[in-house]
Amino acid sequence: MLEKEKRFTLGYDELEGKDFNLVGKKNANLGEMLKAGIPISPGFAVTIHANDQYLIMTGIKEQIRKLIDPPDKQVSFETAKEASKIAMELVENAEIPAAIGDVILSEYHKMCEKYGSACPVAVRSSGAASMPGQMETYLNICGDKDLIDYVKKCWSSAYNTEAIMYRMNKGMEFLFNIGAGIPKMVNSRVSGIIFTLNPINGDMSKISIDASYGLGEAVVSGLVTPDTYLIDKITLDPIKIIKGSKEIQCVYRENASDIVQTDVPEEKRRVNCLSMEEVRELARVSKLIEKYYGTAYDIEFGIDADIPFPQNVIILQVRPESVWNKKEVVSKTEGKKDPMELMLGQLLAGVKIK
Amino acid sequence: MAKKFMDPHDVATIPGTEGWEKMYPYQYPFSKDDPERAAYESSQIWFYDGLHYPIPHYPFDLIWDEAWSMALSQYNTRHWLIPPALGIDHRIVNGYVYISPVGVPDPEEIGRRVPLFMERAGFYFQNWDSLYENWKKKMGLVIDKLAAMNFTDLPVMEDISIIKEGIGIGSGYKLLKQWDELIDLGLLCWQYHFEFLNLAYAAQVTFFATGDQLFPGIPIATLVKMSAGFDPILFKPDAELIRLAKFAIQLGIDDVIAKPLKADELMKELEQHATGKEWLAELEKARYPWFHISTGTGWFHTETSWNDNLNVPFNAIKTNIKTLKEGKEIGRPTAQILEERDRIAHEYRALLKTDADRDAFDQGLGLARLVLPYAEDHNFYVEHWFHTLFWQKTHQVSKILQRAGFFENAEDMYYLKRDEIKAALWDMITGWTTGVKSRGQSYWPKEVAWRKGVYQKFKEWTPPAALGTPPDVVTEPFTIALWGITNSTLTSWLSGGEEGGATAANEIQGSPGSSGVAEGKARVLKEVEELADLQQGEILVCKTTSPSWAPCFVTIAGAITDVGGPMCHAAIVCREYGLPTVVGTGKGTQLIKTGDLVRMDGDTGLVTILERAK
Repeated sequence: MLEKEKRFTLGYDELEGKDFNLVGKKNANLGEMLKAGIPISPGFAVTIHANDQYLIMTGIKEQIRKLIDPPDKQVSFETAKEASKIAMELVENAEIPAAIGDVILSEYHKMCEKYGSACPVAVRSSGAASMPGQMETYLNICGDKDLIDYVKKCWSSAYNTEAIMYRMNKGMEFLFNIGAGIPKMVNSRVSGIIFTLNPINGDMSKISIDASYGLGEAVVSGLVTPDTYLIDKITLDPIKIIKGSKEIQCVYRENASDIVQTDVPEEKRRVNCLSMEEVRELARVSKLIEKYYGTAYDIEFGIDADIPFPQNVIILQVRPESVWNKKEVVSKTEGKKDPMELMLGQLLAGVKIK
Repeated sequence: MAKKFMDPHDVATIPGTEGWEKMYPYQYPFSKDDPERAAYESSQIWFYDGLHYPIPHYPFDLIWDEAWSMALSQYNTRHWLIPPALGIDHRIVNGYVYISPVGVPDPEEIGRRVPLFMERAGFYFQNWDSLYENWKKKMGLVIDKLAAMNFTDLPVMEDISIIKEGIGIGSGYKLLKQWDELIDLGLLCWQYHFEFLNLAYAAQVTFFATGDQLFPGIPIATLVKMSAGFDPILFKPDAELIRLAKFAIQLGIDDVIAKPLKADELMKELEQHATGKEWLAELEKARYPWFHISTGTGWFHTETSWNDNLNVPFNAIKTNIKTLKEGKEIGRPTAQILEERDRIAHEYRALLKTDADRDAFDQGLGLARLVLPYAEDHNFYVEHWFHTLFWQKTHQVSKILQRAGFFENAEDMYYLKRDEIKAALWDMITGWTTGVKSRGQSYWPKEVAWRKGVYQKFKEWTPPAALGTPPDVVTEPFTIALWGITNSTLTSWLSGGEEGGATAANEIQGSPGSSGVAEGKARVLKEVEELADLQQGEILVCKTTSPSWAPCFVTIAGAITDVGGPMCHAAIVCREYGLPTVVGTGKGTQLIKTGDLVRMDGDTGLVTILERAK
């Protein structure tokens, strides 16, 4: 096996945070999450080195580098647009050398063996420097030819006009190699959102899961009333399950990356969309995420229909919880000087029935 | 909660049971003859005590209801002066007992009770351990007295010693006196039963309420897990059966015990072996007191103890031997339970962010841990040890009356209320003293036959969950902690009444007892003797479990009980074995048949009958 720096692909399970200069930040973060035991969609990274070698071996590197050289902070939109057009055409139209293409495809074929032929994947850009939302992500890519085409498109997206303007403003080089992440498209039988607290009252001893059929879009955009599971964070026992109506679900249109809404069959609406073992596994993973980041988190997940339990539980996205984390901590009980005082207070209060 | 349940005076008498009221003490039925009392009855919430009484009351068995009605209430009202709560009132409707917590309406009166409560309850909490040790001694004396009692038939003539020693009293008088003493001991035992229990529940309510303030919606089962976990006496009988099974294997007589013979035959055979004798000696040691355990809850005269029927413990020992020889572990992993309890408490505490909250948590948990040994162990002394001996003695009396021709079957005596038995004994004795036939022989068989018919009709009737008017607030500690009467239970009862039952025909709603989902063939067992029928992976459906049922938990996939809450035996044991449990279904044993394919959800309390047995 070659040294890490010389490889064209690296499995997510081979990555850690400090590898961001090899595969970009997004990929390195996924490796870090995996190491912490957080289940992510299986896949691999195409390295920044692969992008660089692609430009060198196809002989287009110098042509691209020279388009704006040296970096120009005052670059006009027109100039950037012109350079973008040329660079993107060069990157997308060059023939991928077998030395690189074969390595990528061999990794892809391993996935196809596990999850089905022409396994749908995403191709996600992953730069070593943060350029929020500047580069492209392509969903639902199937088969060898499309995969290679979209890896090239992903590389070329480093030269879209916005990305160029951003880099020039920061005084960065025009030439910019990026990594790509190739995770399996999560074929979400069920998906949803988790808070590692009770979002209604901020109670930290609970985990709240909202889940419904199909892609996360339905829950995130509030298109359906999902099932709600309130879980005890310490024992992982469910405390309250409220069945949602779950009338529709979002799915990918056949062989395409756009989303369509379909009806959920009547018999599936009537039952909980998650099994109790899935609920417990989600709660366990959520607890792990909270522990890893050290604060309450907001988590998107999917339950993959192509993978057996418990590997089917897949974390799609995580971010710090934004409401309760910001609130000031106040006591929920009045201080009592001794247990008898505490008892007297509780006896006098009783249990309100109205 | 604006809605009301049915007015208690409007519950219809079941046709053919007219006049049933005479089977119970006169103050028990709801009545309109005093407008003040009637108005009070209408204004209270009355809920059916299905937790203790899954069946209608045999008139005599109501003795325990009367005993606890008096004892529980006196401690709230007259001993501790629980500031906002008086006693729990009792009524009976069509044979089913309804109870109602009574509050202190006047805020000034509540205020006056506060310092009295602090002094009186404070004393018991400060001296809890030594008072509890003293309690065990007192209970020991009561039980010794009971055990020494013996009821025998009236002699044809008094023994010559009565003459020669100048005793001067007759066997009839002694029988009546001993009957009175028996009843008196029963009532005394129940006085002691509540000596600590109100305070124990007050402490638990405090912990539960504090826990819910700190962690809204935290399950009571979790709070119990944090406070329990020591070694309750109630698990001791089971531990003895495991010890005896291990000892049998060690002595090499396990194959003798495994023979498909009854207990008495096995004991005869073991007498023949030298090692068998050694084992029997250990069995004798275990029997007193640990086999004074009821095969039921102890509340009904129909239930027996292991000592009454040694086949029950012998069957359990057989199962234990089989399980041990398969190389499986049995018994409670006490160390693990303790570790889990401490982990849960520690993790919850770690979530608290202020000193005030941490103090409240520590104070509440401290109280709960102080009182839990009593809350769990008193049950063995009273409902098991005392009650099973008590029933033995009343059975002696019923046989005397049967032999005197008062009843066709000895069991018939339990269709008489307490005072009527005294009257029947009086009738029998005066017949014996005067040398003429008593009236009882012609009076009781006819009366009992009618009462049996009434009782059967009671059994076929479904008591509504609640009657009367829900209050704004419940302050009575037992009502909250033991019966779990809260907003949501009342709401679900109300909606159940409105829609004629919120669940589908193939669904039974109980309470969550232990987490998890199980699916399998149901095995409905009415008696613990039937445990041998259980097959691996079946779901046990029974009225309730007690330590007698312990051997079954290695075999079953889950348990469903008619009676019980999150702190009942079945729930505690199943949590320890990691088995799903649904408790308090009310009628699970009637609706589910052996062989039905059922799914049970120990998290939601829902039982679904998936497929009926062919």
